[in-house]
Amino acid sequence: MESDPINLTVPPPPRFLEGLSVRRVLWVTAICAAASAAVAWRFINTYWDLLVTALCVGYTSMLLFTVASNARSARLPREAMQILAVIAGSVLGTILAGMVKGRDVSAMFNESLWAVAISMGLGVGFGCVVVAAILLREKHARDQARLHQAEAERHLLEKGMLEAKLQVMQAQVEPHFLFNTLANVQHLVETDPASANRMLDSLIRYLRAALPQMRETNSTLGREVEMARAFLEIQGVRMGSRLEFQIHVPHEMRSRAFPPMMLISLVENAIKHGVDPCCECSSITIRAEEVEGKLRVCVADTGEGVKPKHGGGVGLSNIRDRLKALYGGGAVLRLEENAPHGVVASIEVPLPQSIAA
Amino acid sequence: MSATAVIADDEPLLRAQLRSRLARLWPELQVVHEMENGRGVEDVVARFCPRVFFLDIHMPGANGLEAARVIGGRAHVVFVTAYEQHAVEAFERGAVDYVLKPFTEERLAITIERVKARVAQTPASLEALVQSLAARLQPAPSPYLRWIKASTGSNVRLIPVEEVLFFQSDEKYTRVVTCEGESLIRKPIRELLDELDPERFWQIHRATIVNVDWIASVKRGLKDVAEVTLRDCPETLTVSRAFTHRFKQM
Repeated sequence: MESDPINLTVPPPPRFLEGLSVRRVLWVTAICAAASAAVAWRFINTYWDLLVTALCVGYTSMLLFTVASNARSARLPREAMQILAVIAGSVLGTILAGMVKGRDVSAMFNESLWAVAISMGLGVGFGCVVVAAILLREKHARDQARLHQAEAERHLLEKGMLEAKLQVMQAQVEPHFLFNTLANVQHLVETDPASANRMLDSLIRYLRAALPQMRETNSTLGREVEMARAFLEIQGVRMGSRLEFQIHVPHEMRSRAFPPMMLISLVENAIKHGVDPCCECSSITIRAEEVEGKLRVCVADTGEGVKPKHGGGVGLSNIRDRLKALYGGGAVLRLEENAPHGVVASIEVPLPQSIAA
Repeated sequence: MSATAVIADDEPLLRAQLRSRLARLWPELQVVHEMENGRGVEDVVARFCPRVFFLDIHMPGANGLEAARVIGGRAHVVFVTAYEQHAVEAFERGAVDYVLKPFTEERLAITIERVKARVAQTPASLEALVQSLAARLQPAPSPYLRWIKASTGSNVRLIPVEEVLFFQSDEKYTRVVTCEGESLIRKPIRELLDELDPERFWQIHRATIVNVDWIASVKRGLKDVAEVTLRDCPETLTVSRAFTHRFKQM
């Protein structure tokens, strides 16, 4: 890009001086003035004489501190380098003060060593207080940032939950699904009232399971499976010979806690991306088993399978986020290719006793 | 000559319903064939020469729009579908009718009147309509890779690219690292670069492509290299000098 001929912005400071702001210079000046005033009564020197010394020590320490803060060394922690910078600054600053006042530096060390020592000592003392203050502020800022991040993550999860609910709501009770189902019922009423009755039963069971679900965060595997079964029964009538399904969920597992709307999402994906695009007969199998302290629920289809460039991961990443929120790293969603074609999606959640352990 | 028709719908009960209602309301109409998707419509046109097609839009294999394109003005088309948003346009642009499922017999009777009025005329070409509907019903597939297939033993894991933290070449394989672990694939980094969405996947090193959505922080290191840390992953990645410019303005 061409450079702008009228560049009014102040160039940023070189990298090793990053953080050296007007604010910092003002703070150091104020501290030096206050420190000089505080100790002036103990010394024969005038306030101005002390202030010159204090500013020399203060500014030198500030510069070295800034450089140390920006330096990267694998050997020393940053805090140690900052403290060392302040000590070096005090020594150099005291010498600088002598030079500014036109004194002979070697004579200064020989004749008034105690004065030099006091100046350095004060420099180191105040310097360390200031460094400690800066470090505390940085830590506070870091804590705040972490807090904000945690907050943001919580919001994100809540949003994810809401999105999942909306998605499921749209996916299953979308007009397209409902109207096609009703069109089937309409025909069956005339030609095969018994089947029409069964289909309406399935629709009612499905809606009853699906609708209150929207307000709850806990469910059982049995309830989720019944919802999936009703959905599959409806789809089975609609698709005729194109869809077969089996459900293998042992009775004793039905009372297990299982997060709501995840199984139905997997079944819905299997229909939408697996069975529906496929002209031949496909089957869907729901299977639950307990393995190594975990409850694993699989939905296997023999449909189209995923195409590398086709989407369909939105509902899945939502399930993943919710599993993470509920179980931390203890639960997984896994997708695999089914042989010879299709997809196996499985969710594994820890069983209650292994959560307690 | 009595009118002839073909019904195409993937739901068997809905084919039967349309057939029995047509038989009641328009007994002279011969339904000469039924199709469960749009495949082979060319043969059906050649073999049966129907005057009217009743097409469901959403069908597997070849959908109703693809079928209408093949028919291309050789027969009248009535769309029968549960999608309502395109009805007006379809009607204005040449389709004889656009019937929403579920429909009443009264509504079908109106369709039949319309078909009867048009059946002697030359059918309209639906090319423009079909193109415009197809664009809206099926958004163009992404040009980028959405899934990674990785073999683990005898199974093939399917990993959505959103879940991938980074790809890193490892001698003859490429590591695919996610929150839950890692897999190896054979596809080399430079091939992945061509196939992945460049907005989301950045090359940061000769051997590394990172998913920028997972970057937690970027730290400057010595000598113009940088270090990337990722959310939920203990590994840090090196950004080599040639790629640090991507992070400069951040």
